[in-house]
Amino acid sequence: MEKKKLLVVEDDSTLHKALLEFLSAEGFEVVGALDGEEGVEKCREEKPDLVLLDIILPKKDGYEVIAELKADPELAAIPVVLLTNLGSLNDVEKALAMGATTYLVKADYKLEEVCRKVKEILGLE
Amino acid sequence: MSFSWQKIADEFNLKKQADELGVKVWQSPSFLFILMGFIIIMAMTGVYFAARNYDSPEIFIISEFLIVIVLFTVGNVLIRGVEQIAHANKMKTEFVSIASHQLKTPLAAVNWEIELLVSKYFEGLNAKQREIIDEIGRANAKMGRLVNDLLDVARIDQGRLALGKEAVDMAVVVREVLESNRILAKAHGVKLVLDAQEGLPAVSGDKQHLVVVLDNLVSNAIKYIGKGSKVEALVRERDGFVEVSIKDDGVGIPKIQQGKLFQKFFRSDNAVRNQTEGTGLGLYIAKNIIKQSGGKMWFFSEEGKGSVFSFNLPARTK
Repeated sequence: MEKKKLLVVEDDSTLHKALLEFLSAEGFEVVGALDGEEGVEKCREEKPDLVLLDIILPKKDGYEVIAELKADPELAAIPVVLLTNLGSLNDVEKALAMGATTYLVKADYKLEEVCRKVKEILGLE
Repeated sequence: MSFSWQKIADEFNLKKQADELGVKVWQSPSFLFILMGFIIIMAMTGVYFAARNYDSPEIFIISEFLIVIVLFTVGNVLIRGVEQIAHANKMKTEFVSIASHQLKTPLAAVNWEIELLVSKYFEGLNAKQREIIDEIGRANAKMGRLVNDLLDVARIDQGRLALGKEAVDMAVVVREVLESNRILAKAHGVKLVLDAQEGLPAVSGDKQHLVVVLDNLVSNAIKYIGKGSKVEALVRERDGFVEVSIKDDGVGIPKIQQGKLFQKFFRSDNAVRNQTEGTGLGLYIAKNIIKQSGGKMWFFSEEGKGSVFSFNLPARTK
């Protein structure tokens, strides 16, 4: 079976690297972006199967990224999973209303749980 | 001109000002200012009636003048003081909130790096090295809980604790929390017992936060009782509410300190003597979560005999 492609948009270098390494080791093809602008660009170039998206990002924040992806007919169907530490339901609700598939709180989730959620959404489990 | 009118209208928007400062409406500086004006007018009227008995306009004018000056000065100093305290308090809460948020990213980084190490790059690690890594992980998890507690307190104080409203089966939540406390219970030589009524209705609440509430009650009970005792969890339906009680036969809480138990940062003498760890935030958070979910939390405790902590939540109407 062909490898599923993930895009990780996360500006903290340690978290970025950890996600890339763990998900690659789990058999995904993983592309990374360090800011919102790069995230949208990579999404257009790479057409990933799923996007893991931080909310607080340089250049364009997570909300702007979702808005751009959802406005583009070619990208609108890609599921977006929010990575957040906000933990405030209002912000999360805003993102979900904009079309994000689900969210997870970084400090409360293990990499394994992140990976399980990704697989669940992609129908791999 | 319209701009300044808007500004004046804003100055006297009591509800907005009170919300911004996180105080009650009657504590807001604008309300106090209006109250001061009212008191001054009352005082002036009083002086007018009192001065009618003396046929001297000089005394009347001087006493009116003095009364206004004194009341205005004292009133303004008090209002300014209240305003400053409210602002400082708000800034303190915001600081705690921002600082805790900033701590969450490095916490997640340490967690994830440890996980990466033990799950994908574990080759060559010996037992001792693994043990050390486990200790680091445990300490980091503890710090994570502390940061979550501080964030919750800041949110409660700002009136911004957001709670979900999903259908929750309390019997399941209690069972999960007891399960996750097994290791702690074993370390303290304590037996955990669950007694849940069959066919309980679901309650409406935020599962993650209800776990926090129960975890606090259960781990408190375990930590403060002696070896060989047991902690009992009872789940019952009563008058349209689901009631949960955590009962222990531990050290109990001195009567004199019982009134302060739900206060922020309060730790009873028995708690400090038996367990040096703890912030005194757990019960404050727990009570506020239950209150905001539409329930009530209470306790009964006798020194030397033990404590029962209970809370209820309204059953969900279908």
